[in-house]
Amino acid sequence: MLGVPPMSTEKTPLNSGRVIWRSLEEKEDPSRLQAEACGSDVVKQHVGPQELFQLNRRKFMTLSGSIATLAGVEGCIRRPVENILPYTDMPEYVNPGVPSHYASVLNVAGEAVGILGTSREGRPTKLEGNPDHPTSRGATNLWVQSSILDLYDPERLQAPTTGGARSDFAAFDKFFSDKLNALRAKAGAGLYILTQPSNSPTYLRMRQLVVDKLPLSRIAVYSPAPQSAAREGARLALGAPAHAVYDFSRAKVVLALDSDFLGTEPGSVLANRQYSTARDMESSAGSPNRLYSVEPTLSITGSNADHRLRLPAQDVARYARALAAELAATGVELGQVAGAVRGSSVEGIPEPWIKAVARDLVKNRGQSLIVVGPRQPPALHALAHSLNRALGNSGVTVTYTEPVDAQEPENFDSLKNLVAVIEAGRVDTLLILGGNPAYDAPADLKFGDALKKIPTSIHFTSHLDETGSLTTWQVPRAHDLESWGDQQSTRGDYSVQQPLIAPLWGGRTDAEVLALVAGEPNWRAYNLVQGTVEKRGFRGELAWRRLLHTGIADTRFGAVLGTAPLRDAEIAAAVQKIGTGGPLTENTFEAVFTLDNKLYDGRYANNTWLLELPDPITRITWDNAALFAPSTAKKLGIANGDLVRITRGDVSVDIVAWLQPGVAAQSIILPLGWGRTAAGKNGNNKGFNVYPLRTLASPHFITGVTVAKLDKKYPISQTQDHDSMEGRPLAVDATLAEYKDTPNFPEYKTPDPAFGPLWKMPDYSQGEQWGMTIDLNVCTGCNTCAVACQAENNVPVVGKIEVARGREMHWLRIDRYYLGEDADEPEVAFQPIACQHCETAPCENVCPVAATAHSPEGLNDIAYNRCIGTRYCMNNCPYKVRRFNFLNFNEDVPETRQMQFNPSVTVRFRGVIEKCSYCVQRIEHAKIKARTEGRVRIRDGEVVSACAQACPTGAITFGNINDPNAVVTKARNRDRNYGLLAEIGTRPRTRFLGKIRNPNPELKTVKA
Amino acid sequence: MSADSPIAELGETPIVPAHVDAAFVSNEVSRVTEHRAPIGWWLVFGTALIALGILGLSVGYLIWNGIGSWGNNSPVAWAWDITNFVWWIGIGHAGTLISAVLFLFRQKWRTSINRFAEAMTIFAVICALLYPTIHVGRVWLLYWALPLPNQMSMWPNFKSPLLWDVFAVSTYFTVSLLFWYVGLLPDFATLRDRTKNLLRKKVYGALALGWRGSNRHWRNYERAYLILAALSTPLVLSVHSVVSFDFATSVIPGWHTTIFPPYFVAGAVFSGFAMVSTLMILCRQVFGLKDIMTMKHLELMNKIMLVTGSLVGYAYAMEFFVAWYSGNEYERYVFFVSRATGPYWWAYWTMVSCNVIAPQLFWFKRWRTSIPVMFAVSIIINIGMWFERFVIIVTSLHRDYLPSAWGMFSPTLIDIGCYIGSLGLFFTLFSLFIRWIPMIAMFEVKAALPGAQPSHHGAHDQEREGHGTLAAKEA
Repeated sequence: MLGVPPMSTEKTPLNSGRVIWRSLEEKEDPSRLQAEACGSDVVKQHVGPQELFQLNRRKFMTLSGSIATLAGVEGCIRRPVENILPYTDMPEYVNPGVPSHYASVLNVAGEAVGILGTSREGRPTKLEGNPDHPTSRGATNLWVQSSILDLYDPERLQAPTTGGARSDFAAFDKFFSDKLNALRAKAGAGLYILTQPSNSPTYLRMRQLVVDKLPLSRIAVYSPAPQSAAREGARLALGAPAHAVYDFSRAKVVLALDSDFLGTEPGSVLANRQYSTARDMESSAGSPNRLYSVEPTLSITGSNADHRLRLPAQDVARYARALAAELAATGVELGQVAGAVRGSSVEGIPEPWIKAVARDLVKNRGQSLIVVGPRQPPALHALAHSLNRALGNSGVTVTYTEPVDAQEPENFDSLKNLVAVIEAGRVDTLLILGGNPAYDAPADLKFGDALKKIPTSIHFTSHLDETGSLTTWQVPRAHDLESWGDQQSTRGDYSVQQPLIAPLWGGRTDAEVLALVAGEPNWRAYNLVQGTVEKRGFRGELAWRRLLHTGIADTRFGAVLGTAPLRDAEIAAAVQKIGTGGPLTENTFEAVFTLDNKLYDGRYANNTWLLELPDPITRITWDNAALFAPSTAKKLGIANGDLVRITRGDVSVDIVAWLQPGVAAQSIILPLGWGRTAAGKNGNNKGFNVYPLRTLASPHFITGVTVAKLDKKYPISQTQDHDSMEGRPLAVDATLAEYKDTPNFPEYKTPDPAFGPLWKMPDYSQGEQWGMTIDLNVCTGCNTCAVACQAENNVPVVGKIEVARGREMHWLRIDRYYLGEDADEPEVAFQPIACQHCETAPCENVCPVAATAHSPEGLNDIAYNRCIGTRYCMNNCPYKVRRFNFLNFNEDVPETRQMQFNPSVTVRFRGVIEKCSYCVQRIEHAKIKARTEGRVRIRDGEVVSACAQACPTGAITFGNINDPNAVVTKARNRDRNYGLLAEIGTRPRTRFLGKIRNPNPELKTVKA
Repeated sequence: MSADSPIAELGETPIVPAHVDAAFVSNEVSRVTEHRAPIGWWLVFGTALIALGILGLSVGYLIWNGIGSWGNNSPVAWAWDITNFVWWIGIGHAGTLISAVLFLFRQKWRTSINRFAEAMTIFAVICALLYPTIHVGRVWLLYWALPLPNQMSMWPNFKSPLLWDVFAVSTYFTVSLLFWYVGLLPDFATLRDRTKNLLRKKVYGALALGWRGSNRHWRNYERAYLILAALSTPLVLSVHSVVSFDFATSVIPGWHTTIFPPYFVAGAVFSGFAMVSTLMILCRQVFGLKDIMTMKHLELMNKIMLVTGSLVGYAYAMEFFVAWYSGNEYERYVFFVSRATGPYWWAYWTMVSCNVIAPQLFWFKRWRTSIPVMFAVSIIINIGMWFERFVIIVTSLHRDYLPSAWGMFSPTLIDIGCYIGSLGLFFTLFSLFIRWIPMIAMFEVKAALPGAQPSHHGAHDQEREGHGTLAAKEA
């Protein structure tokens, strides 16, 4: 094809024939010298335009010389002001440009997750999972990934404030110590402390110290997303406080009862990994697990289920009872529980769902698992423990450990008691350590009103939020990434949380505050943690350093509780009280409160990455919505985007309605955590606050709400508004039986073209050739990769309006399709899509300025500086992965936010295209490392793209496809591999592995 | 003998009425530039200037804030910008066709309208060039698309159809401009010679490049004009073919179509004639040039519109046939679902109604020769051809391969401003043109007058045969 030689390598444009040379070697063979200068065989591989079009410069100039007069308008370019400031004192461990990594731990959704923080010149920029830590095994979830942005939130509380005025720590400390001295004199009478549940042994030690030193003080523990039902259930079944620790990797059959163990529940990182181990076609040796899900809303877990029964939350217990009865009838020894579950109504529950599931559980004795979600009552948890025990799963797929905090009080009771004493006027001083109860406490407690009655209330908080604005003092609370602490996982893994940066605004940790209250002289968190570590038997500098270095103690804490018989009588008594009613009548609705898939309970509400991240199921950004089953919405005359009023008693909430396939017919799903009023300028007034409907008596789901359609519309921004694949072979799937029959089933749907490309292809058989494989079978659609990519690649956030206009910038998106005829009973397919790095990329040949081109290593590169922004490539990309900076999305980035930017990745200016680069910066880092170590080749696993690294299920593999032993090569050689839209001839480097569904043949046709 | 004399046996009549002679032509055409402009001109010019102001504001806003000021998005990365570009380029086609192709085919009737059409071509190409310029994300680096030597050894990408566009359109513009200017020389000289105003004399004198009408001048002129006509003729086919490559070489269903080059050329001629027709009817009314731009001209043009409109209709049908026949599910979706019944169905059916159905009126002589009908139809065709480009660009892009990435496009005020503004630019230039430059090629019309054909011998033979009007007059 056409092409002209690079001008500088032209031989003597003016005196053709006369050779110009600098040395004898060059004169002999100029190309060899040049090749040596480039240090590789790259030059020879490079498709020289010389081969393509013999047109020398002079000739060309003769033809087009007049065009040259158009040059010379370069003066209009805006160049950033750059200052290079060298270190005057070089810090010992800082190599500019070379990131260092530190092990630490984060408490995410109630579980400790071991992390490795990447620090560049002293700034933490990215978090990865700690491969040595059992709860992360190198993976993360979206909250780990996004917490780095929270650290740099410019709207964090930057100094103690009181009475609406900025104060400072000196003033606060004086006030605080005076106050504490006065309280200590009264043995703490009138001092109340409201904290959140914690897994931190140091925090717990300090809490105990406060109790010991100030016996009249009281501590309340509250979180809007409590695990108390699970704890109570375990206590009920075992007679002692316990954590149920699940091992999904050993479960062939999993029954999730209103449980989102792959999504919002504690330990989802590990659960994803374990689930994928049992799901993966290779590690399960061709017999993947089977997941049943019974739930009111379509959760991430439910969307991955092989069979899903949509039932109102209140009926899940009824289903469990029926199932238990069936199990007992088929000979599973349930003891007294068998009698308790008998005779519950099975109305509205399809019989095969009881019979076939029971048979499947029995068939897989000892390798099945029943898990119950935190929304369900303790008795149901106890029943599940009983069933698991009877099915022989105890000790295999579920074990019990002693909890870190055996004294943790029941969540809602704790807060209720606190409000009662406030109302009684007995609270003189209230310390609120984190949390935002004025926003998220059950509405009927009127916590905010109670708060105003306290003479001295101090809120240790990251932001001046709804609670902080009602307290007398607001004091910065240190972020987990900037403070010392420790965490013990439910399994009993102990880790020290070491700061990656000094506190940006001088915040205090919870343990520090408690230590100050207790009058501990060495109250700095560092000393407190060291104290705990020493008490735990790690003595000496070496042990401390080892703990910090590996990020995990080599001994496990939290004794594994034995397999003593369960307390049948208590379980039976409790079970008798649940699931007693019948199904909801036609026009009765149940409101189900769910933790948001992105904002959790509202604590991440000012995090723009999460706000803009499309919900994994609804694909809605920047808002939440009340989810209705499509059939119900039709009956109620509700359409997408209608505002509805949901009323319970005299409380009502106006919220936008959204039709969500898979929602139980009589359930209205209300995601918590939105509609904040004091979250910060990003999080304020986004979505709708549904906490006002939540009461102490029924914090998880309430029946008997009424719905009224308001005559108003509310605009919703989605990143994907078409849910059907239109019968196209995109996210290709097959059942296990079909797979066994035709292992290469995707090939029949989306074949690689039989004919080659028109042009001579570069030689891709040499050197490192990068490729990616995405196994749709284990991808759970959890969104972690999308956030990880955003964090790694400085991907900007564009806002709700720009998302509505289709201008979101995510380099990696997860497409979610629904399959099946019935809009209420969808099967779900997830498909992560980033640049496919096509070998014959349609985007490349259309760029008029050659700003996007192929590297010899098979990467589809963009030179941002060269891009003039014609957007032709964006049009011609069949995968629509190219993003255009329609506006200057990086304008006015706050200074703290800039600290998060990855310096290895250009921050893009408006008017240029960007897209997934296969994390080329990581490839280059690895190359530099290999070369400095004298290696020619990069080892497998040395380069991992940000998405692959973060993925908790290992669905994404990345590496050199020329290395026959590389993980990625093995993955892409599996029989289920296919290239997306391969039939149009793009030869994508990213290959997908078809999804395998594992339906129970007995249940195949059953729909609720 | 003259090959282009009317053939009486076929019912042909002279193109201009009998009372039109050389002096009449000079007076009629020149007076437009010599006398005060009629109120109609001021109305058009004033409106156009306002629209031009809107263009300035819109483009300024666009460049200051970025392409996000428009409604473009992912997946619709091109929308009104390229729609307008192709529309204007298409309009620009009639000029060359009339000037060059009809010249080579010795269609003498072109003489009354060719100047006009050429001017329209140039202004339309200017409007067209505006869009690729402002639609890039970083306007200030646009020159990187030109093959300029630079220290980075970077050539533009010669594989990119956009680069072919750069060459095709700039060549077209250059050649059209030269062609137009060369054709203007004798008329500038006429204006120079007629005026007593010193300034006019100087300006037109300079523009006329010293034209004195000598035999040698005429000889060189005729040769140059012929060469330029020959150069322009392939451009009529090539420019819009190259523009169509922007779409045809892509992988997007609805774009990836082999019939695009002829389809685009037919469409371009179609829209160009419609625009010429609109403008002619306006000028004819405003300046009273009914005797030079006669009904015969208009009728002939309407016939061409009928032919090209039917060609375009055939192309529309072929697209559907090929989509069905190929069995390609993505392409079938684009035509049978997306275009015909998708969210933009109204655009598709507007296009079909305007471009295929409306010109069918011209089968009937009564409507073909009715000024109100042809004016309305020409406007409808212009609208329809704009929709054709909109349909091709937006409906193909808004739903391509992956349904997850589907989206919609809605224009912003700046989109509308840039479109209205380009009309303003066009009409401003056009108003200035008709006011200051002879809008009809006087000397060419004179050459087509009865009696203007050189006849050095055999005149009486012609008379006997009943062919020669000149001979008849001489007798």
